[in-house]
Amino acid sequence: MKKINIYFILWFLIGSMEVFAQQNITFTSKDATISFFSSAPLEDIEAKSNLAGSALNISTGDIIFKVKNTSFEFDKKLMQEHFNENYMESDKYPFSEFKGKIEESKKLNDNGNYTLKVSGTLQIHGVNKPYVTLVAFNVKNSVIKTLASFDVRLSDHKITIPSIVGKNIAEVVKVKIDATYKNGQL
Amino acid sequence: MPRIKMDNYSSDNQMKYILFIILSAISSSVFAQEDLEKLVDLSGPKSEKVTATFKAGNLINLKTTETIHRNELDFRVDHRFGDIAGSNGGGKNFFGLDNSTDIRIGFDYGIRDNLNIGIARAKGATEIRQLYEANVKYRFLEQTIDNRIPVSIAFFGSTTVSAMEASEDQSSAAHFDRFSDRLNYVSQLIIARKFSSDFSFTIVPTYLHRNFTAYNDQNNLFAVGLGGRVKVSNRMALVADYVLPFRQSSKKEYRENVTGQRYYHALGVGLEIETGGHIFHLNFTNATAVQESQFISETNSSWGKGQFRWGFSIARRFSFNKKTKE
Repeated sequence: MKKINIYFILWFLIGSMEVFAQQNITFTSKDATISFFSSAPLEDIEAKSNLAGSALNISTGDIIFKVKNTSFEFDKKLMQEHFNENYMESDKYPFSEFKGKIEESKKLNDNGNYTLKVSGTLQIHGVNKPYVTLVAFNVKNSVIKTLASFDVRLSDHKITIPSIVGKNIAEVVKVKIDATYKNGQL
Repeated sequence: MPRIKMDNYSSDNQMKYILFIILSAISSSVFAQEDLEKLVDLSGPKSEKVTATFKAGNLINLKTTETIHRNELDFRVDHRFGDIAGSNGGGKNFFGLDNSTDIRIGFDYGIRDNLNIGIARAKGATEIRQLYEANVKYRFLEQTIDNRIPVSIAFFGSTTVSAMEASEDQSSAAHFDRFSDRLNYVSQLIIARKFSSDFSFTIVPTYLHRNFTAYNDQNNLFAVGLGGRVKVSNRMALVADYVLPFRQSSKKEYRENVTGQRYYHALGVGLEIETGGHIFHLNFTNATAVQESQFISETNSSWGKGQFRWGFSIARRFSFNKKTKE
């Protein structure tokens, strides 16, 4: 009985230490850039948001990305309207979000360039889908830079393109993420 | 002995112990995610503007608060056919399709995102024909998502000039003595609110001034337009509008008794279909004219008498915005 109690105390101590430790190893990025590109026979479509938010925790490897769909800017405003009105339905699903884990995230404690596997769930248009991708990290004096690129299949997220405009929009969209993290607080 | 006891003890409690650790670990990782989520800071404007209150610059007869964006060109064709039913309709003219009451072809250009200018030519549907129009639409207030600004308001103003030959008949509206007699003016305040993503409503106080009218008709006329849009699918919506002019009863009675011209309120119902850059409207209305200066003041046909017509409009937007490369 006594032994178990000691385990409990130890566990709580370690646990609380872990929470304590987390305070120093969360990083946030409040102006991350998310862009996407769709190439189709008739028209290339490109959009960009500089207002995405992200946070990551080196000790647990947790990473979160969140972007307001209406913050994407298109060269053609009409496309932007269609994007929000017809495809993303931004009234119903205002945010797109990624929640995942970075493998071997503790490497990010030290300066250097790393390519780490990130796996998690991407929520677009209210539909969750698991993703695994390789992400480049650059760590320099407590500033972490990331560059990631992956393909999103629109049909995976129940974004349907009517056949009449099918030729204008590609089925697979290339998404790029560019973020710079600085020390965050918790 | 103590060893056996120990084994019993652990086999009994080890499971609980492991379970406890697993549960705690899960809950702690959930907390970590939630805490991390709190750190995500989404910057950007606090009160975002409501977009797409309406899809096009027009409902059926009425204008909407929508403007086209800077450097965009909107090409629009409006077409009204003849009476579907009634004495002028039916099979003999293929339910009005053999006739056209009015055709309007117009171009609008976006000087700013909220300021458009336009030119148009219309056949004209009443006594006065061959119309040229110049117009301006300025949306000076935009509804915000947080309701700090509850409505969008735009000003629409147009001038039409008739190019037709002047009529000899002195009582005719087309008896032009001077050039200025050919000019008509419309000023509208378009107030609209998007109540939900599926429903928008607009109210349009209107002032109409005609420099010259038929004998004993009104030069100045106030009217109020009402319109709405209900989305039925992602790309289709039902639209309807109605215009209520406030006529002087004495002049109205004179016109009705002497010339036999009765006036009705323009009512339109239609289906709006959006396909990428095009917007189609299929509609039914008792108004024969397309332009404000005519359908508000001179709608002489009645739904009740079968004098409604099929109409359509096609609007196509072109963007002249250069690609911005970094």
